[in-house]
Amino acid sequence: MRERREVDLRLAGKTIINQLGVVLRTGQIHDIDNVAVMDAVDKFIRLVNPVIEAEGLLKIDVIGEFFYINDSRVRYPLEYMLNFDYLLREFQRRELGTVVFGARLETDEIKTFLRVFMSSAYSGTPYEAMEASLEECTNIRIDRLKKITEDGDMDQKKIVKKTYFNAVSFTESVMNRVKAGEKVNMKVAKRVVESMVDLILSEEQLLVGMTAIKDYDEYTYHHSVNVSVLSIAMGQKIGLSRKALTELGLVALFHDIGKMEIPKEILNKPSAFTEEEWSIIRRHPYLGARVLLKLKGFDRTSIRSAVVAFEHHLHYDYSGYPEVRNPVKLDFYTRIITIADQYDAMTSSRVYARVPLAPDRALRIIMERSGSELDPVLCKFFTNMIGVYPVGSLVLLDTREMGLVYECNPLFADRPRVMIIVDGNGRMTEGIIADLTERDTEGRYLKSIVKTLDPNRYRLNLAKYLL
Amino acid sequence: MTHAQEVKEIIQALVKAKKNLRIYPENNPVYARIVDDIHSRITSVLEYTGELSLKIRQHDIFFDGESVYHGDGKEENLALFFFKDGVRELTFNKGLPRNEMEDFLGILAVDFDREALDDDIVTLMWEKDFRFIHYMVDDSILLEDETYEERAVEEAKKASQDNEGILQAYREASSIEAGPVTHVIPITDADLDHMIREIEEDTDDKSIKLIHLLFEMLSQVGDTAEYGELAGFIGSALDFAVRHGNLDAAVYTLERIDEETAGDDCENEVRARLEDLKRFMCSEDFVSGIAEVLDEGTEFDEALLQRFASLLDSDAIPSFIHVLGELRSAQARRAVISILSELGRKDIQSVARGLQDRRWYVVRNIICILRQIGDATAVEHLVRAVRHPDKRVKKEAIRTLGVMGTADVLHVLNECISDEDELVRLTAVRAVGLIGTPLSKKILLDRVADRGFRDKTFNEKREFFEVLSRWRDDDVVALMIRALKRRTIFKRAKNTETRAAAAHGLGMTGSADALEPLMKLKNAKNRLLRDNVQAAIKRITGEREKRS
Ligand SMILES: [Fe+2]
Ligand SMILES: [Fe+2]
Repeated sequence: MRERREVDLRLAGKTIINQLGVVLRTGQIHDIDNVAVMDAVDKFIRLVNPVIEAEGLLKIDVIGEFFYINDSRVRYPLEYMLNFDYLLREFQRRELGTVVFGARLETDEIKTFLRVFMSSAYSGTPYEAMEASLEECTNIRIDRLKKITEDGDMDQKKIVKKTYFNAVSFTESVMNRVKAGEKVNMKVAKRVVESMVDLILSEEQLLVGMTAIKDYDEYTYHHSVNVSVLSIAMGQKIGLSRKALTELGLVALFHDIGKMEIPKEILNKPSAFTEEEWSIIRRHPYLGARVLLKLKGFDRTSIRSAVVAFEHHLHYDYSGYPEVRNPVKLDFYTRIITIADQYDAMTSSRVYARVPLAPDRALRIIMERSGSELDPVLCKFFTNMIGVYPVGSLVLLDTREMGLVYECNPLFADRPRVMIIVDGNGRMTEGIIADLTERDTEGRYLKSIVKTLDPNRYRLNLAKYLL
Repeated sequence: MTHAQEVKEIIQALVKAKKNLRIYPENNPVYARIVDDIHSRITSVLEYTGELSLKIRQHDIFFDGESVYHGDGKEENLALFFFKDGVRELTFNKGLPRNEMEDFLGILAVDFDREALDDDIVTLMWEKDFRFIHYMVDDSILLEDETYEERAVEEAKKASQDNEGILQAYREASSIEAGPVTHVIPITDADLDHMIREIEEDTDDKSIKLIHLLFEMLSQVGDTAEYGELAGFIGSALDFAVRHGNLDAAVYTLERIDEETAGDDCENEVRARLEDLKRFMCSEDFVSGIAEVLDEGTEFDEALLQRFASLLDSDAIPSFIHVLGELRSAQARRAVISILSELGRKDIQSVARGLQDRRWYVVRNIICILRQIGDATAVEHLVRAVRHPDKRVKKEAIRTLGVMGTADVLHVLNECISDEDELVRLTAVRAVGLIGTPLSKKILLDRVADRGFRDKTFNEKREFFEVLSRWRDDDVVALMIRALKRRTIFKRAKNTETRAAAAHGLGMTGSADALEPLMKLKNAKNRLLRDNVQAAIKRITGEREKRS
């Protein structure tokens, strides 16, 4: 019996949440008695009642960025993404964290819920408004959205840090082995990437945030890990499977491996490159493909890594290098990784960008290149993932406080979490974290971003704050 | 029984399962029974404990603070099996479904020493994404340098300078003009559809793409020694592709080799390496890769096989003949025969050499291939195959000579009509008839007229008459009528058989002249004769009615 239950919930969960999204979206457009709304409501009831009968109740929770049905996390396919995001946003806006249906649902009950849900949008205190209106309706109970505690945050932050540095350390040892002509242990490589995938699936933004710390190293270990993290995060937005995300992450980790064959003196040259030095640097995609094919026997991953290493500077419109005789459509992973690569390269002080760009500037350039150097649809997914103010952006708030963007909010692109480093009186402070989606009792936002500044211009050391 | 005792037994069952599950295939009932047994044991413990958590150490497994397993050494140590990949705790939760149990046991049974996997236990468990089996891992085993994080963080923070930069930024902030804000363009349904399509189209096998790029790389080498390396990579990619059932990669490569080497501008070194590559594609090594996937049940469409064979060099013929004898599935043999039939057109001698193979079934297939090629030069080889000691081969050769041969093979076939094996003789008679020259007719008529003819079986005699009936000439009909009417005193039974066979033959000629003598025997006492006569009459009259 229990087995059946689990399987059913896994399947039903995503359709139920999706249908609730459909109900609320149609309810927003049409009158509540409209046929389209009624159809959506009927369908929702048909989906929900069997579960209520089997389980005694149906509980929908929002925890972090995920929905849970009867305590089991709902995973959803890409085609449901818009409804899921919509629903998540609407719940968070109302500070609504839990909805419980206690017994078999009737059409009128859902209609009441819909009406209450809609009208609460106009209230300054939407949660309280909903709670009051639903008092009569004994079959539907709601609960307030719980804040993820700071303690939990700190543990998570530790794990994120550890995972990130494990990856960097591993990359360093891989690169050194490659240089020495030794074999690379792919088992370990996979494990390292799998733990990054796990983190991105649960706490996407925190690991992405680590990429804002642009630590300089001779052989692009950090860069490799950053590109891997950004690619996985993008892949997750796109809806790749866990296994595909691991492959993407691995391939990304090795994209610049050809640089190991380029003399340090050139890579780390403090002044501008000569034409000849450039031509040597432009060899790294070719060299990378060769290295990867020699690394181990041919298998899916080595083949794909070689393809991506060779293609990653070709560009969507083939305006890049190396020059090829017969251009064919770039590999899907190449197009993802190129965006991550360009973004990280621009925001780091490395060969391609001597002076690092502020994150929001880099993002603007990515958008400018959309459709020419970069795949336009993938660029959209990238900017949606990274937000208007990427992690590491230096921002001035309307409270005259200054802070660093600490974590993006994927649902409210312009309302990230910000670490306050200078208070309203111009004094340095101890890094309190403010969530810009927070509002006062009237429904007004407590803090909003006014403008961004270039952290590089003031030689800000992000590591000091973000680590 | 205490829980610890039960858990001890579960672990012993796991140890046994680890060995036994390797022996049986997954669809074997014993396999299923092992899974069921362990599943029900664990489920029954979970029923009152809710969860079953095991702590893993190098030599021990602990449950509730008590050691429930101890293993020394490296071999067959269940604790170490998990420990070495960093697993430190393993928990089964209430509700554990059978399929998760089975997946878990499947991982337990993997023979990591024998299978060269790129995955360790943790990766395999991770990929299964268990919901009722949880594990805790110590990732530090992955690191060569455990203090890396600490040092890196310290280093990164050290670079920090005083607060002046921040305060300067703050002072300037109000006077700096707000820059443009990048608006996040919302993702639309169309974008999602586009992505779903991209993901669907993103195939697992990127070997053709890689081969394409390796051809590009040929024009970018830094040093001529790299040509050989690149060609070697193409070979390896190809080997991978073909072993995964991707024959298109081989076709693509052959096309590209032809393209590259066609022009005059192809460097000698490149040409030489690509020719090496083409030779590799003819090797037994490479061809056996194709054979393996065929035997595993991969089907290629006929046009692809033909295209592949038409691009390949004839040097591949011996390799394909070699694998032909090793294939187990009929469908795979058909595919290889199809390849050889196409390839053989380029060098019939090489195919014919296969007639000397010691395996009779290979020889028979080669004959088949020669027939499909249909080249007249094959005839001389087939004539030799007729003398093959195995009669199955013999028959195939005779049949093929009938289809392809001309009058000059009739003397060989005539010999076969005297073969000791009846089926060989019958095949020879049919082949002679197929060639259909006046000499064919004469050979058959002489045989029928021979004294020994009467003693043949009814079946064989009928074959003679039936084959002869293709000549509707008067002399043939007259001979058959004579045979029909003949009465003897000795060996009457044998003679009646000959008459019945002649009646059958007459029926096949459709000759009107035969009707009268046949009618007279319509009610013959002998059943065999009567049946054949009646059938012949029916056939002749039926045919005549149809014509009028
Ligand atoms: Fe690069
Ligand atoms: Fe790069």
